[in-house]
Amino acid sequence: METQHVCVCFEGCSCFRQRLVLSTLSVKRVKIPNIRSKDDNLGLRDFEVSFIRLLDKHECNVQRSIGYYLEALLMLAPFVKTPLRAALKGVTNDPTDPSVDLLKVTAIPLMKKFGIDGDGLEIKVLKRGMAPAGGGEVLFTCPVRRSMKPVQLTEPGKIKRIRGTAFSVRVSPQMANRIVDSARSILNKFIPDIYIYTDHMKGASSGKSPGFGLTLVAETVNGTFLGAEVMSTPQGQGDPVLPEDLGRNCAKLLLEEIYRGGCVDSTNQSLALLYMTLGQQDVSKSLLGPLSPYT
Amino acid sequence: MEKKEQKRHQHKHSGPKAQKKNRKKEQGTEQVQDERKRNPRAFSVQSAVRMAKTFHRTQDIKTKKHHIPLVDRTPLEPPPVVVVVIGPPKVGKSTLIRCLIKNYTRQKLSDICGPVTIVSGKKRRLTLIECNNDINSMIDLAKVADLVLMLIDASFGFEMETFEFLNICQVHGFPRVMGVLTHLDTFKNNKTLSKTKKRLKHRFWTEVYQGAKLFYLSGMVYGEYQTQEVKNLGRFISVMKFRPLVWRTSHPYVVADRMEDLTDPEAIRLNPKCDRTVSLYGYLRGTFLKNKCQVHIPGVGDFSVADVSFLPDPCPLPEVIKKRALNVKERLLYAPLAGVGGLVYDKDAVYIDMPSGHKCLFQEEVRPTTELVQSLIGTQATLDAKMAASKVSLFTGTAALTPEEVKQNPMESREWDENAQRERRRAVFADEDEKDDDEEEESDEEEEEEEEDEEDEDEEGLTKKVDEKAVETAAPPVKKQKIEEPMEMPAFADSDDELEKSEGEESEEEEGDEENEEMEEGEPAKRRSGPDSGLCSEEDDEDEEEDSDMDEDGDGIVKSKMSFKHPEEEKIDTEDAEMAYETAGALRWKEDLAQKASEAYLRHQLAAPNLRKLVYGTVAEEEEDSNDEEELGGLFKVSRPERSKKVRADAMDCSRFHPDSSHDWDQEEVRSSIRDCFVTGKWEEDKDAATLLKENDELYGDFEDLETGEVHKAKTGNKDKHYHVIFQKNKRLEKKRRLKERFDAQYDDGDATYFDDLKDEMQKQAELNRQEFEDVDDEVRVQYEGFRPGMYVRVEIPALPCEFVTNFDPHYPIVLGGLGPSEGNVGYLQMRLKKHRWHSRILKTRDPLILSLGWRRFQTIPLYYIEDHNGRHRLLKYTPEHMHCGATIWGPITPQGTGFLAVQTVGGIKANFRIAATGVVLDLDKSVTIVKKLKLIGYPYKIFKNTCFIQVGSPAESGVSP
Repeated sequence: METQHVCVCFEGCSCFRQRLVLSTLSVKRVKIPNIRSKDDNLGLRDFEVSFIRLLDKHECNVQRSIGYYLEALLMLAPFVKTPLRAALKGVTNDPTDPSVDLLKVTAIPLMKKFGIDGDGLEIKVLKRGMAPAGGGEVLFTCPVRRSMKPVQLTEPGKIKRIRGTAFSVRVSPQMANRIVDSARSILNKFIPDIYIYTDHMKGASSGKSPGFGLTLVAETVNGTFLGAEVMSTPQGQGDPVLPEDLGRNCAKLLLEEIYRGGCVDSTNQSLALLYMTLGQQDVSKSLLGPLSPYT
Repeated sequence: MEKKEQKRHQHKHSGPKAQKKNRKKEQGTEQVQDERKRNPRAFSVQSAVRMAKTFHRTQDIKTKKHHIPLVDRTPLEPPPVVVVVIGPPKVGKSTLIRCLIKNYTRQKLSDICGPVTIVSGKKRRLTLIECNNDINSMIDLAKVADLVLMLIDASFGFEMETFEFLNICQVHGFPRVMGVLTHLDTFKNNKTLSKTKKRLKHRFWTEVYQGAKLFYLSGMVYGEYQTQEVKNLGRFISVMKFRPLVWRTSHPYVVADRMEDLTDPEAIRLNPKCDRTVSLYGYLRGTFLKNKCQVHIPGVGDFSVADVSFLPDPCPLPEVIKKRALNVKERLLYAPLAGVGGLVYDKDAVYIDMPSGHKCLFQEEVRPTTELVQSLIGTQATLDAKMAASKVSLFTGTAALTPEEVKQNPMESREWDENAQRERRRAVFADEDEKDDDEEEESDEEEEEEEEDEEDEDEEGLTKKVDEKAVETAAPPVKKQKIEEPMEMPAFADSDDELEKSEGEESEEEEGDEENEEMEEGEPAKRRSGPDSGLCSEEDDEDEEEDSDMDEDGDGIVKSKMSFKHPEEEKIDTEDAEMAYETAGALRWKEDLAQKASEAYLRHQLAAPNLRKLVYGTVAEEEEDSNDEEELGGLFKVSRPERSKKVRADAMDCSRFHPDSSHDWDQEEVRSSIRDCFVTGKWEEDKDAATLLKENDELYGDFEDLETGEVHKAKTGNKDKHYHVIFQKNKRLEKKRRLKERFDAQYDDGDATYFDDLKDEMQKQAELNRQEFEDVDDEVRVQYEGFRPGMYVRVEIPALPCEFVTNFDPHYPIVLGGLGPSEGNVGYLQMRLKKHRWHSRILKTRDPLILSLGWRRFQTIPLYYIEDHNGRHRLLKYTPEHMHCGATIWGPITPQGTGFLAVQTVGGIKANFRIAATGVVLDLDKSVTIVKKLKLIGYPYKIFKNTCFIQVGSPAESGVSP
């Protein structure tokens, strides 16, 4: 009766989250020395420390958006002991990480395919908070599943509709409309069934920084969701973007995503693969587009 | 069973009997015809309540029959069914096994020693194991048994062992249990016989389930049970169905039927108590076994497996099923521990059955002069030297090794003789009786009664074996001591060859030479442990071929064993290909861009690492680039280009992905490349709504779930005609299928329930699982999914305590239970426990208890507690008499819901019931609070009107124990 003293060793801080998540799921110890050994700013950054804390208990550091934390939670949530209900506070949308909106429209349907469904599964944006100051709040709830359903995602199907959310906080509500117009101008050439919601948050629910952005999702006849999004650059960092450009860029990104194909969009590839791995012994198949570097 | 033409029954056509019958028939038919018409009131609804009740009842009965549907995971070639024969001593267990073996294989096995595997039918094999009266064996076997034959001495009635075993079974998932009453011939009175039968049957039913099968074996004929009764029993066994048990379907396990010590003999010489390396053989059951996993051997401990490899099946099912019954050659028997299958285990030696044609050769060898022994002694002499050195000396000197060389280390070789007798060859057994005596000593007293018979049988059986081996002469087989080679010694393979050569298989020589050459090239390949057996020399050949094949393939496969086995069948490699199709599919309609895109795709392919290689490590084309690959924790290989290594180690951890290949979506052509990904785009021909509409209006709705492989074929324009034909055919088939679907939907949907749907789904999944790896080579398949149940595997385990080898007794089962990822850890377990109602005493907190949980048996100290109404866990000093209580132990982490049982002692036989408690694991909480009610005695030192302060002494005084 000896405990496993197997310790998996990694170097550097890339794939930090995945390593921690996988170590948690597989109950194996990991050791990560030499984090940013060449950097001026040695060691873990604040957001990574914050992530480790999150694995314990939920305040997200504003250096990274909630999406950064949420992605890892999505991987863990179905396998924890009690149904998860996490209120995450911080930046809801920023240009580096997948935003909460994108995860909401792409990851959640994917999880449903794996049998994680029911009332419990939800990502709810209570308050929006743009980078750099944040101030947003997201409620993530997830039920516990003992086993994953095996999936056969081999037929992406044709795209039947495109939905989206254009949001603006602490800027003119007109921004959202301008985004929608420009995005539609591109997408309308492909499919008429487009509806882009405009979401203008006011007052307390608008966070601390101004900004706007667009999330688009294309749904196929087989229930595959492909998403894309673009955010405005945070206040005081780089050149401001025109809402028209943003809308067009986002639409093009969506087209790019469609071009890459697959039943799972590039943001969620690793999530899908993880769930497939952790499922029962049955064969799961899924068709992915070209793998993203993160996967 | 000769079929005699029996006279058929003649119906009477005339006479009073015939008339009577005719009358009856006519009346009967008339009555049935118009009963409803004649008396409609009798068939009207009398009572709505009653009708509802009957309806309810039928539905209840129907639902009770349902089990939760499970995905059928039984492999195509399932492992042998484990049949455990259990019962108190002297009830006839060995006799029954012997009779069953004789029934199935027409062979006689005198000494039942260890598991015996036989082919019982076209699709079924059985592993018969006898369980002795030891509670440890009972516990271990209850965990692996598929079918339990519970022998009951009818002249005596039930004994405690029977009930104990039933209770053990109940805890660890109930296998099928069949009772067998023996000693029925002791009843002289027919009435008492039938009464006893009935009484025992009903008692058995209450223990197992109502209507459980109970067999009666009446009387012995020449020391055997009656053939007809054994035959019936055999039939029941071979048609029995088994429901998978949760623990077993989630854990791989091996019931070892062969054990070999691979420890370096030199190490044993230096330290007889050194840890041993042992290889265990057996059929893999349960679920897939990954290489490098942890196993638990009950009674020995947890070990990590050094190496797993699969061997050709020693007892295969018939390849082609054409006839009704098996012929004699297909009725195989494999029991290495009992000496069948070529190996005989003695107390300190292993013998190999050799074809007797070579008897004289070995008899001559008083001194080691032949190549075989030379090479072996050469191995011994160089054991203390380095591996490389030994290799060189061996290979250069297969012929050159001379007695002088041997004499260089006279000390060692002499010590060798004294110390490890087993390494020396014992004198050849000339006559059978000697060996028989040996065997008889080991067998239990029971057999002594039948010794005379058995000796005869023995001789018969052995000669039979010899016949099977197609040895020309009828002389008794020669037994030769087998020499145990250390693993990974290149010398080993050589000696293997030698053995085969000496067996006179000239054809082997070529292969052997080849291998030698390869060896000389200096490739230390992992090897099978030894000559499998004399019996399956053909398989040996095959194996050799496989081995040499493997060698030719290069060391890729062997090396890749260290890479990580993915637990899931993701089929990532096909993704690449499918991806190609996908992209190609998108390209179909943009002729001008095709060239550019295909180039881009090729670029992609080059850039993307071979995923299969990355994950499973099977593709071994380019081992040279291994400088780029660093191995991480023995699990993952990270392959990345050298230049970007430093950068990527500290890369930004972000899943957002910015596609670099920027297409200009303003251009019309680029845009048109994905136009067909939309519903508004062009559909494939067979999915086109218009086509479908033309075909059948009603089917418009289900066009989306149809799938054909046509899309990709469309690209090959030159085969247009051929393609068209296929397409037409497929289309027709497709149409048929859809029609059938529609028909099914219309007519079957009426009583299709949720249950049926679920079952359908499961069946589909099972089919898919089967298909996925159907035509993949076993070597590759093992890399993907691990070793699948049904394979005959060899498991090498290092660092076993020496007592395992020195006290090895084949009568005790050796079970290798695979452990899940976290089951090797130890922690706190909360469990629900109940003292067994037949155990005479209640259990005390902190009294050590031996638990059987999961695969394990271990001793621990439980704390009993009960949950109060306020959710508080209050410590109990004793378990309640008839109630469940909680228990917390420090023990191995086991998944929730696993049952366990507790005994107070495993040694000796107590008169009363040995199982102290049973229960189930509830939780694995590390922070559990158990409170203890304290009575503190003190003295008032200040008294007010309503308040009083009390002085309490130190906790020790007031009876608080920590």
